[in-house]
Amino acid sequence: MLRVILNSVEVMFGGQAGDGSLTTGDLIAGVFKRMGLEVYTYKDFPSRIRGGHTNYVIRASEHPNYGMADAVDGLVAFDLEAVEAHIEEMRPGGFIVFDSTSESIPDELRRDDVTWYEIPLAKIAKEQLGLELVRNTISLGVLAALIGMDPEIVRHDVRGVYERKGEKVVDLNMRAIAAGEDYVREHFAGRPSGYGLVAGSDGDRLIMMGNDAIAYGALVAGCRFMAGYPITPATDVLEWMSKQLPKFGGVVVQAEDELAAITMTLGAAFAGVRAMTATSGPGQALMTEAIGLAGVLEIPVVVVECARTGPSTGMPTKTEQSNLNHLIYSGHGEIPRVVLAPGTVHDSFEITTTAFNLAEKYQLPVFVLTEQALCQSKATLKPLDVDAVEIDRGKLIDSGEVVFGEYKRFAFTEDGVSPRVIPGVPGGMHLAPGSEHNDAGVITENARNRARMMEKRMGKLVSMRDDLPKAVLHGIADADIAIVGYGANRGPIAEAVQRLAAGGVLTRFLQLRTLWPFPEDDIRDFVRGAQHVFVVENNYTGQLMQLIRAVVGPLDALHGVRKYDGRPFRPIEVIEAVLRETDAALRDVHDDAAEVL
Amino acid sequence: MTATLTPKDFATATPSWWCPGCGDYGVLSALKQALAELGKQPKDVAFISGIGCSGKISGYLHSYAFHGVHGRALPVATAVKLANRDLTVIAAGGDGDGYAIGAGHFVHAVRRNTDMTYIVMDNQTYGLTKGQSSPTSATGYVASVSPDGNPDTPLNGLALALAAGATFIARGFSAQPKQMVAMIKAAVEHRGFAIVEVMSPCVTYNKVNTYAWFKENTEDGTLREGYSPNDRLAAFEALTNEGKIPLGILYKEDRPTFEERTGLPQTPIARLDLRAARDGFAAMQAAYR
Repeated sequence: MLRVILNSVEVMFGGQAGDGSLTTGDLIAGVFKRMGLEVYTYKDFPSRIRGGHTNYVIRASEHPNYGMADAVDGLVAFDLEAVEAHIEEMRPGGFIVFDSTSESIPDELRRDDVTWYEIPLAKIAKEQLGLELVRNTISLGVLAALIGMDPEIVRHDVRGVYERKGEKVVDLNMRAIAAGEDYVREHFAGRPSGYGLVAGSDGDRLIMMGNDAIAYGALVAGCRFMAGYPITPATDVLEWMSKQLPKFGGVVVQAEDELAAITMTLGAAFAGVRAMTATSGPGQALMTEAIGLAGVLEIPVVVVECARTGPSTGMPTKTEQSNLNHLIYSGHGEIPRVVLAPGTVHDSFEITTTAFNLAEKYQLPVFVLTEQALCQSKATLKPLDVDAVEIDRGKLIDSGEVVFGEYKRFAFTEDGVSPRVIPGVPGGMHLAPGSEHNDAGVITENARNRARMMEKRMGKLVSMRDDLPKAVLHGIADADIAIVGYGANRGPIAEAVQRLAAGGVLTRFLQLRTLWPFPEDDIRDFVRGAQHVFVVENNYTGQLMQLIRAVVGPLDALHGVRKYDGRPFRPIEVIEAVLRETDAALRDVHDDAAEVL
Repeated sequence: MTATLTPKDFATATPSWWCPGCGDYGVLSALKQALAELGKQPKDVAFISGIGCSGKISGYLHSYAFHGVHGRALPVATAVKLANRDLTVIAAGGDGDGYAIGAGHFVHAVRRNTDMTYIVMDNQTYGLTKGQSSPTSATGYVASVSPDGNPDTPLNGLALALAAGATFIARGFSAQPKQMVAMIKAAVEHRGFAIVEVMSPCVTYNKVNTYAWFKENTEDGTLREGYSPNDRLAAFEALTNEGKIPLGILYKEDRPTFEERTGLPQTPIARLDLRAARDGFAAMQAAYR
């Protein structure tokens, strides 16, 4: 019987950095979307511009998954290194397209449970089309023919990418697609891939990267000033904003370092503009002192952290969740701060818009914490509702006037938030000092004032409770097994929860979206009655688990599920951890690539 | 509409923390005088200072004042100006704040040429930490952390600024208020980044570079024969030669500001209606369909 897996495929493009696999990967993602499928992509590239193994994973499925599958279904390998690196990740029954122009597959790599398509892609590109560069597009034609990508959509999208380079280039790429399709037809007619796609309707959907959604969210939320220093994987946000902000009257400054980026952000916010910066771990470390200043001066700033693998330079292009403690605890002295973590691309937009309101309403620094596996990944999503975005500037006084002498910038109030004037408002002149100060901004070391000021500032963490983004409960609310996670792990954990349930193992999953102030009540309620609590995170020391343990106390059945190799979780890793610790047996561990005709 | 302001209108009620006789008093009073003479209103002045004795100056000028972290006055001030072009933005700090911990920002603020003024109050020592060598201390200067004499070559901040592309360079001496008022006024009116370095003696820790020493070792550089403040090479020579320390407006150049080069609208960003342009936002999603 012919086995065909329909509408569920994870394709990996592997080769050397700079050889165009990212462009081709984006093209494939677009085609999958237009065929009505849900898409998630993951870029695994080296920290260099040319050379070094790179791969781009594109997963398509009928339902959104927000993460990678257990295994790769189809690998398009431009060199032997790509096969060597990923042969073990191949799903039994999967397939490999290999460019056999100058290398061949050694016997020890030749797994016999995958189908091999050895095609001299570079040779065809050079001999038939006169340009080796179009091997990517030939491989697209090959893949299209093997898994049934809609030929019209493929051509439409390729045209879209190359149109600006002129008709000659478009024509060359059209012939390249055909060359790939023809090769499959002529040589592999009797060797189907086992995968098929049925075109549905795209509908009204977007395909967007996490960083795009953050930048777009910031713009819609009224951010009109950004200062940043280029750093992977946060640079996308700076680039996006530098293209768009000037169109809306705003400005972007490429700062000389992160010390300048954050203090510029403070300066703009002090002057009354919604302002942000975006960085990653090393930059965040430099920003630490000024974050403390934002806390004590009660200046609203939004800091996006696109986390990567640390410490030091770490692995700049790889994912990790090891900066949670850094965001919560970094800095001398104590300030109120908020750490939010989106779980999907859509959520990246929502969390960012919320961050600006929280920052201004409570006049403090708000972090949007995301990771490489989410912020540089693309996903399909429903259109973003810009009309639903509220702009709440809190106690801002940006017009009219105040009475000098009566107005106090740091006035003691019930919620700890003082009316905030901006420069230019008559009567509001004051000193904003990083030194401890009284309600009028005059520097003082008075003991009673110091204690009251600490209570005022820190008290904002309590007044804001109801405004913080809520955690999301997935799975079965009263299941014995509980799982906690956040960020990019929302995808693989939620998928594991579904598949465990399908196999008869019921679990509940709390996806945290506010990480600080730590949602103690939510955690306490969530773990109540659980036989096992799993904390899934991408770090070595279990930073989230330590926070949870501080709330629930020592629990025998508290299990850390951790990964710190720079790669995101695959669902099967969560499933296996749950089964291992709970001795539960699954009737059938299958993922959604099991629809068999 | 408003009555003419006097320097007193720029005074705060906060008592000064400076030592009696500190050069910084002269800087503060010249600054107040200059702002009053320019007809500025305290509400339209944003005054950003660094950390150190000199950094305390922001507490004594009635304005929208910001006393931030050590060495970062310039990036804060730059952003305040970009956020609201209607404001008169002045940053101030000492030689340690500007030429040591903040040296990185100094050269880049100069390059950026944002329309603002930067006053460096140079006392050639670290006063608030009780007398260590600073970036401008003379080689051999004996201080608590260099008991055998400062081993480093003093930094020439104004020559550095000139090399980085400064468009306005002036140097004053805090015991010569008239000249200082004139150069601060010119600096504020200069379109672009204006740096005013003021020799501001520390009467407590620096027993070498005293008022008497400065009187002896400075001269009005602009009075030198044939001197033109528009000649970059002449300015470089004046700033680096071994003779007396030149005072005055030593260099001036007309060059587009950061605001002009980036096409920043005249309407202050701080005054934008954030709820406008909703339709434009929604349409942007087409790029992702």
